[in-house]
Amino acid sequence: MKALFRLMALGRAQAGWLLFGLAMSLISTLIAVSLSGAAGAVFAGGILVAAPMALRALGPLRVVSRYAERMVTHNALFRALADLRVWFFRRIAARMAGGLGMARAGDLLARLVGDVEAQDAVYMRVMLPLVGALALLPILAVVLGNLDIWLALAVCVLFVVSAFVLPMMAMRGALAGGTTLAQAMAGVRVATLDAVTGLREVRAFAAEGRMLAATQARESTLLTAQSQALRRVSWAGAAAFLSAQAAILATLLLGRDHGATAIALVFLVMAAFEAVALLPRAGAQAGVAAAAAERVVAMTDSPIPCPDQPKPAPLPASYALRIEAVGFRWQEDRPPVFDGLSLDIPQGAHVALLGPSGIGKSTLAALCLRLESPQIGRITLGGVDIASLAAADLRHQIGWLSQATHLFDDTIRANLLIARPEASDAELWNALERAQIADAVRALPDGIETYLGEGGLRFSGGQGRRLALARILLSPAKILILDEPCAGLDADTERKFLTTLNQTLGDRSSILIAHHLAGVEKLDRIYRLSAGRAVAAAG
Amino acid sequence: MGEMTISSPSTGKPGKAWLAAEARLGRRAAGGLVGIGLLGTLCAVGQAYCLAMLLAVLIGTDGPDEPVLWPALAFAALAVARAVIGVTSESLAFRLGATARRRLRTDALGRLLAAGPALLRSAHSAELAAIVVDRVESLDGFFSRWLPASMLALATPILLAAFIACFDPLAALLLIVSAALVPVAMAVFGIGAGRAASRQFTAMSRLQTRFLDRMRGIATIVMHGRVEDEAQSLLRAATELRQRTMRVIRVAFLSSAAIDVAAAGTLVFLALRIFHHMADNSLADPVSSLFVLLLVPEFFQPLRNFSAAYQDQFQAHDAAKALEALPPMPVVAEPDKPIRTVAAQGITLVFDRVGLTWDAARGPVLEDVSFGVAPGETLIVAGPSGAGKSSLIEILLGFVRPTEGRVTLNGADISDLVPSALSKLTAWIGQRPVLFAGSLRENIRFARPEATDAEVDDAARFARVEAFAASLPQGLDTDIGEGGFGLSGGQAQRVAIARAMLKNAPILLLDEPTAHLDSTTESEVLDSLRRLTLGRTTILVTHSAAAHEWNQGIGGRRIDLKDGRLIGNRGAA
Repeated sequence: MKALFRLMALGRAQAGWLLFGLAMSLISTLIAVSLSGAAGAVFAGGILVAAPMALRALGPLRVVSRYAERMVTHNALFRALADLRVWFFRRIAARMAGGLGMARAGDLLARLVGDVEAQDAVYMRVMLPLVGALALLPILAVVLGNLDIWLALAVCVLFVVSAFVLPMMAMRGALAGGTTLAQAMAGVRVATLDAVTGLREVRAFAAEGRMLAATQARESTLLTAQSQALRRVSWAGAAAFLSAQAAILATLLLGRDHGATAIALVFLVMAAFEAVALLPRAGAQAGVAAAAAERVVAMTDSPIPCPDQPKPAPLPASYALRIEAVGFRWQEDRPPVFDGLSLDIPQGAHVALLGPSGIGKSTLAALCLRLESPQIGRITLGGVDIASLAAADLRHQIGWLSQATHLFDDTIRANLLIARPEASDAELWNALERAQIADAVRALPDGIETYLGEGGLRFSGGQGRRLALARILLSPAKILILDEPCAGLDADTERKFLTTLNQTLGDRSSILIAHHLAGVEKLDRIYRLSAGRAVAAAG
Repeated sequence: MGEMTISSPSTGKPGKAWLAAEARLGRRAAGGLVGIGLLGTLCAVGQAYCLAMLLAVLIGTDGPDEPVLWPALAFAALAVARAVIGVTSESLAFRLGATARRRLRTDALGRLLAAGPALLRSAHSAELAAIVVDRVESLDGFFSRWLPASMLALATPILLAAFIACFDPLAALLLIVSAALVPVAMAVFGIGAGRAASRQFTAMSRLQTRFLDRMRGIATIVMHGRVEDEAQSLLRAATELRQRTMRVIRVAFLSSAAIDVAAAGTLVFLALRIFHHMADNSLADPVSSLFVLLLVPEFFQPLRNFSAAYQDQFQAHDAAKALEALPPMPVVAEPDKPIRTVAAQGITLVFDRVGLTWDAARGPVLEDVSFGVAPGETLIVAGPSGAGKSSLIEILLGFVRPTEGRVTLNGADISDLVPSALSKLTAWIGQRPVLFAGSLRENIRFARPEATDAEVDDAARFARVEAFAASLPQGLDTDIGEGGFGLSGGQAQRVAIARAMLKNAPILLLDEPTAHLDSTTESEVLDSLRRLTLGRTTILVTHSAAAHEWNQGIGGRRIDLKDGRLIGNRGAA
């Protein structure tokens, strides 16, 4: 429930539209009830002479107001949902600077699409009719109360049950089921994406049947959850229907003594109950929305790893990087990766860091970029502890080519521009040249506008690596951390790239992380990582 | 974003025949639901009549002593019946949609799986998944709402008009005329709605694909400080989706407004007629007048449902096109017997003037490639990146068929093998092994689900997975994230090697198996691979000098590829 209110509060930005929609909805409801009342009033001709006139005017008004209401409320709703999605993305990005980790991309997608969408019930089906109900209740009380206090009491109690009590009960009942439903939908998405993303592995290991069965199993769970949710919704609807019927019957029986006037009342009661007839169903849907809201908020409200300090220090001009007696372990129960690691990378220095896989070379990059914080010691940039810098500033200054660098399903140009959106064509081509891939790009029919495909799929592993390399070379960062830049490259290309690397770096510093050296690198220092420390090695 | 280029096998208007066939099936299944719906209408008629009687008492034409007990009781009883009918028909409708979704989802995913990895060249996995998940989900309304509603929209008004005609023929005529105008209005407003629905889905699919791709590369975006740019483009995509959606639902709103006009007009006309009769005291039968008036909303309700389900029909048209365009399910042929029986003695693999073109604009990736590998032999394929080495492996894995020439295993063309038969023969270690979220053990067992724990342990030891798993908190049962999160590139590679080991197939295809490994691990893995290649037909694609030396050590041959052509064919050194 808390999550639901939290997401509702985000609607502030679209408050104008949402309130406009609310007003339109209220007007439309009142017109509908008046129309029905007027239709009934024609039987009480003696009392309401104006009824026929009212009927002629209200008929067209009702049609127009209903159409306008729907357009306005839907527009308001979709605006709010779009905002919510962007908000979700920003919050996720702040928390997943280091990648998705154990989160599933398909599950995040399910939250962005389905769980956000479920929030429409809150505004459309709950808030709008609820406001209508709040306006109608006093009207019913006054109109009926003027005639018969017992009649007014009976109808108002039934109205409160229908508009407030049943929706509340339905909502509570749907909360737990809502969680199951949202998880089940995400389950289908994740299983399908696993099967489709892994089509190569699936074919190679003849896993078609298994993948299909996994999706079918998740789908069965989904259908069961949907069927249970539907049952709750339909019983809530049936209860609302029965209370409306009871109110009509009560009006007829208790209003007997008032003759023809009671007919107008019957029509009024019918219309009033019709206006709130969907509320109990909506209550059940709101329960689902609340559960979905929990899932959205669970991802967006987790603590930010290594957050900025309240007043980050300004970025120092110098970009000398020092790692001072750092100790770090990923988890309490795992052995330390670093134990008193000290490294000095002066401004403009070219340093290599060697060691076998799993020794912590990537962990070091994560520490320098403040994706993780060392438990002991500190890292300084230009003499300032990076913990006191703004993470965005720090990452502007340090570029990282990781082993998991992602190529987006976009053009080569768009992929490069991520590193520097304002880069000119000449700069793009220059970066491609330096990464030894310009000739291959030039040979493509669409050149730099060629689409890479999912994860760079339309290019070979070595070509993709070089495109990622071109991207990092293009970035304005002063320090480049290159984690195995030549993995997957043939020896010739590797040698060419490393030979020209220093010239292309200019005044930038570089940290080359590798298993071994090719022998052509021009380096200022070489360190070997071993037992959690860096040891200077001979060039 | 790549456009979907899956070809449609059908002729005529795409998706139309498919949807018509589905509609026939769906209508047959919806018979019970329509019956129950009509029963509900009969209850509503009864209720209206009771209500009219009770109201007539109030007008007082029949005197205040008219008994009200039995109409009131009947009214209440019918109300309960209608409530039960409502719940029942909703659950029936759900079942219609659920049955159809289950069938169509299995069909769609089955066809994607059968078509295989070549699909990923032309479509993003998020687009493909959106077909299986969202397209099929969007068809629910077609089966659970549109088909029953379209049947009831005809049957219910006719039934009601018949009742009304008994009391007030003029009113019945009026209702039928105004009801007949509803489909006309819907058709007019619905012009262009089909295209709008199709654009809406495209906008939704684009939003999903973009988001999923950006999520997978979120670290790259954050590291380059591009979060705000991406948020803005997500907002643009979301805004486009809003505009497209508004265009679709406006059709539904307009046709519903048309029904409002018809309903309100009829209601006002009938009410005014009663008023005038009452004014000159000529209201002969208040019960029947009231009865007719009360049935007006009931008369228009099925038309409202029909119009509300209108957009389901457009979505279904669009989904039909997408589902029909999926590659057809291949006819399952008899597994090739000769290959199976000879497999025990090893497999001779021959490339005979093979050519492959992915994309005509980019030219062939392989051209006129011929070579052979004898049982138990290891062939190294070398060449600069982009030379077509991986494509060669992909042909052997059946991901793609050669556009020219043929590839044979013991003389049988691999194009004639069903995918499952080919996959039994090959084990593969790719450049970018896809690891699933789950434990290391599950990821290895993926190669052969029926393998025992001991066999998985053996494979893990063999591929040096155990070497790093030992330092993990739960060893082989440690969970890793999607795409191998938590493992380094080299570690992921070793899991892939363990899979190949566990699979134990006669042909071994190794695509840069040691690319991400340090030299110590590389030599260890090469050691393991040497044992793995014994008695198997092996193709090894590699840049690694160590691997070249290793192969020469075991007397293997090497071929060199450049720009898709063979430039050297050397024997053992």
